[in-house]
Amino acid sequence: MTEALSASKLADLPPEMLDFTLLKPAGALVPRLGRLSIPGRRTLLTPDFLGNTSRGAIPHISQDNFGKTGLDGVYIALEDFIEKHPQKTPPIFKLDTPDPLRRFTALPKDTIFVLGARRQPPIPSANANTNSEIGILTSVGFQVISSEYYAAAARKLQPDIVVGLADIPFGQPTVGLKRKDKMSDRTETWTRDIIAKRSTIDKSEPRFNIFAPILPIAKEVQSWYLEHLLDDMVDKISGVAIYDSHLLDELPEELQHLPRLSFDNPSSPHELLRQVGLGMDLFTVPFVTDATDAGIALDFTFPVPQKTNGTERRSLGMDMWKSEHTESVTPLTDGCKCYACSKHHRAYIQHLLSAKEMLGWVLIQFHNHEILDAFFAGVRNSIDKGTFEQDVATFEAFYEPKLPEKTGQGPRVRGYQFKAQDHGKSTKRNPKAYKSLQVPLNAFHGQQPNPNPDVRDVIDDDALVGLVGMEHVDPTEQLEGLKIEDDRS
Amino acid sequence: MAPVSMPSALRYELLAKCSVTKARAATLHLPHGPVPLPIFMPVATQASLKGLTPEQLEEAGCRLCLNNTYHLGLKPGQATLDAIGGAHKFQSWPHNILTADADVSFQMVSLLKLAKVTEEGVRFLSPHDGTPMLLTPEHSISLQNSIGSDIIMQLDDVIATTSPDLARMTEAMERSVRWLDRCIKAHKYPERQNLFCIIQGGLDLDLRRRCTAEMVARDTPGIAIGGLSGGEAKDAYCKVVDTCTGLLPEKKPRYVMGVGYPEDLVVSVALGADMFDCVWPTRTARFGNAITARGVLNLRNAAYAEDFSPIEEGCQCVCCRSLDEGGLGITRAYIYHVTAKETAGAHLLTIHNVQYQLNLMKQVRQAIIDDRYPTFLKDFFAKLYDDKSKYPQWAVDALKGVGVDLLVD
Ligand SMILES: [Zn+2]
Ligand SMILES: [Zn+2]
Repeated sequence: MTEALSASKLADLPPEMLDFTLLKPAGALVPRLGRLSIPGRRTLLTPDFLGNTSRGAIPHISQDNFGKTGLDGVYIALEDFIEKHPQKTPPIFKLDTPDPLRRFTALPKDTIFVLGARRQPPIPSANANTNSEIGILTSVGFQVISSEYYAAAARKLQPDIVVGLADIPFGQPTVGLKRKDKMSDRTETWTRDIIAKRSTIDKSEPRFNIFAPILPIAKEVQSWYLEHLLDDMVDKISGVAIYDSHLLDELPEELQHLPRLSFDNPSSPHELLRQVGLGMDLFTVPFVTDATDAGIALDFTFPVPQKTNGTERRSLGMDMWKSEHTESVTPLTDGCKCYACSKHHRAYIQHLLSAKEMLGWVLIQFHNHEILDAFFAGVRNSIDKGTFEQDVATFEAFYEPKLPEKTGQGPRVRGYQFKAQDHGKSTKRNPKAYKSLQVPLNAFHGQQPNPNPDVRDVIDDDALVGLVGMEHVDPTEQLEGLKIEDDRS
Repeated sequence: MAPVSMPSALRYELLAKCSVTKARAATLHLPHGPVPLPIFMPVATQASLKGLTPEQLEEAGCRLCLNNTYHLGLKPGQATLDAIGGAHKFQSWPHNILTADADVSFQMVSLLKLAKVTEEGVRFLSPHDGTPMLLTPEHSISLQNSIGSDIIMQLDDVIATTSPDLARMTEAMERSVRWLDRCIKAHKYPERQNLFCIIQGGLDLDLRRRCTAEMVARDTPGIAIGGLSGGEAKDAYCKVVDTCTGLLPEKKPRYVMGVGYPEDLVVSVALGADMFDCVWPTRTARFGNAITARGVLNLRNAAYAEDFSPIEEGCQCVCCRSLDEGGLGITRAYIYHVTAKETAGAHLLTIHNVQYQLNLMKQVRQAIIDDRYPTFLKDFFAKLYDDKSKYPQWAVDALKGVGVDLLVD
């Protein structure tokens, strides 16, 4: 398809309509190139990734610095905004302005907003899904929302894209066949529901685009849902959200033209490449912020760098806690165009982490987003040139298979950061920071940070007070109430 | 004592004096560019200001910030600072830096069991890891020479102003003078770094006068009044500032260390002080506290959950300016939504608070230049308190002493 043709096609669409054009015709299970356009918003060239927000912000990045991340779109979870529900109307629904979610979060006008119910990755909710509700987790505890509520919220918040509700019992290791049938039935009901609710929106009002969920169960088990999706709904949806990338193998022909958002959270760039290779288009990449929190500056390119010396596998990231960086005035990655690399050097970033200064994580976050941005640009280029498959093979041979383990302490735990798996462990993730040692007298100056890792990470007075998340909830308590089996309905 | 001529790396350009109070407006020309006086200096203790990039600090209008000598001595350490070529390069800050030990001294004061002051220096246990440390005037200056800050501070012997021990207070004052001499001697780069003396003497005005005379005789490029902000009564604080500024030469900047509440700033300016620093405006942002002309708002209070107005109406910071004005249009409700949950919320509020403090001083300066500072003071207090009966007595008294009666319109 030519540029001009697609531009004129775009002009004929109603204002909020999403256009997805496959730039490189592709069959099943091959990487594909696409262009996702929504009038008034930045164009996403796919494969690409969305910024994964927390309470409307990219973690560590204040809104005035959002532009420095290079992001074209963001993923936002409704559960981040509705802790007052159901006792009170959540404040965001009282903001009386067009485009309230964008105005409230103060993100740019041209950024694509994708709204889902749950954060990525979602923390299993103690509240089981029912026929009419899904369990969520707000900053004050577990809660449920109905399909109706979700549709109303979407209408009020006016995101560009809404991912339909899916009935998935998160955190449950095995799901019985009966339960799977129910997943399929409920998801179909909810998808029909949001489509119907959207159709009632007046033509003069903004209308969101709907991405239908594809469940992480075998095709046969959700065949009714998929069939009905094709029969009655395919022309009402603008994309699919895929919870298990293996299902790309079995995606019906009639859904092939739609953009595919992955909710099959990748743990590494290799995993991203695998999904891209199967034809995935869009990702939220939680490991970017996870790496940032761990003080790891991502360090990989796709395709791999031309000049290489040595045969050892390269690490996918650099642990910025390491004292080897203390006198290094080089950027995190040579030639990186990110804000951190163009303005600062490793020595400063290492210092900031070791001093527990918040700016350390800010700078690494800029860098990690740029690395991912360049990675996807490289991926698209490689697909375009037809060298993707061999570039992936070289990448896999060149880099270690996993991101480096974290060694340093992360930033103080923010809201939501406890994980269900932490159940049973102490909820105070960061230990108290005072220690008194009897060690020989040192002259004051010229003294370097204590090399003992136990005390290296302790922190000044500032850290003793400071950020605490989830102050009204005791996560342990919540998780004790966690029930996985939800066949009560 | 005979005045010692000392090189200076600054030029104090007096622009205006208030015809009623002792307030002065000036431009201070420093090695990394001119700064307006009076000035509030944000405190970037460990070469970083609470999650803001140096560029964000610059955008808020800051041209002179503080680093802490002692903290930089620990991390990244002198060897690293030497290797990298000083603190400006280390933190990519193209503007001025002032380094001080003062708040360490206060930490020592508060942890006195851990600190022991001898003629040699201060011995203490590092609050970082409990390691015993020795800090001498020579160490302090050597470190500040490595840091390369535009203004460096002498090491002083500080004890709490509230200490009733006059003998110890006298000893501390006299020792601070002797330590200044050691600092002057140790200072390697007087032609590019300005050493400021620090006047001590607690709340005893006689001691303060004696100390001022000794310090002035040493002819440092600038003069600080130290040992305050340690919990003393505000009227006693004002008497010390008033007494010291009365004895200081007109053509030198006067820095009152550790002061930063808005009402303290405007009163201290009326008493003739020019420079201030305080961690409070930026530290408090993290707890959701927004500084405004009508007082401090705690935006973690549920009352703000649905308040869609800017943090402060009319504020020109990037958060408060509307989209139409090229800002972000951040609301109190959004700050409520993120504070203490995402650090970005603290960053936004820090930007606002820094802007508030800098803008306050900008308005103060303009009022002095226009010779309407007394009116400015009256407006300032009228906004901050809804009733004259709520005005703090110390402020009323101190300003009366310099010719401004806040209670008369
Ligand atoms: Zn970079
Ligand atoms: Zn503001």
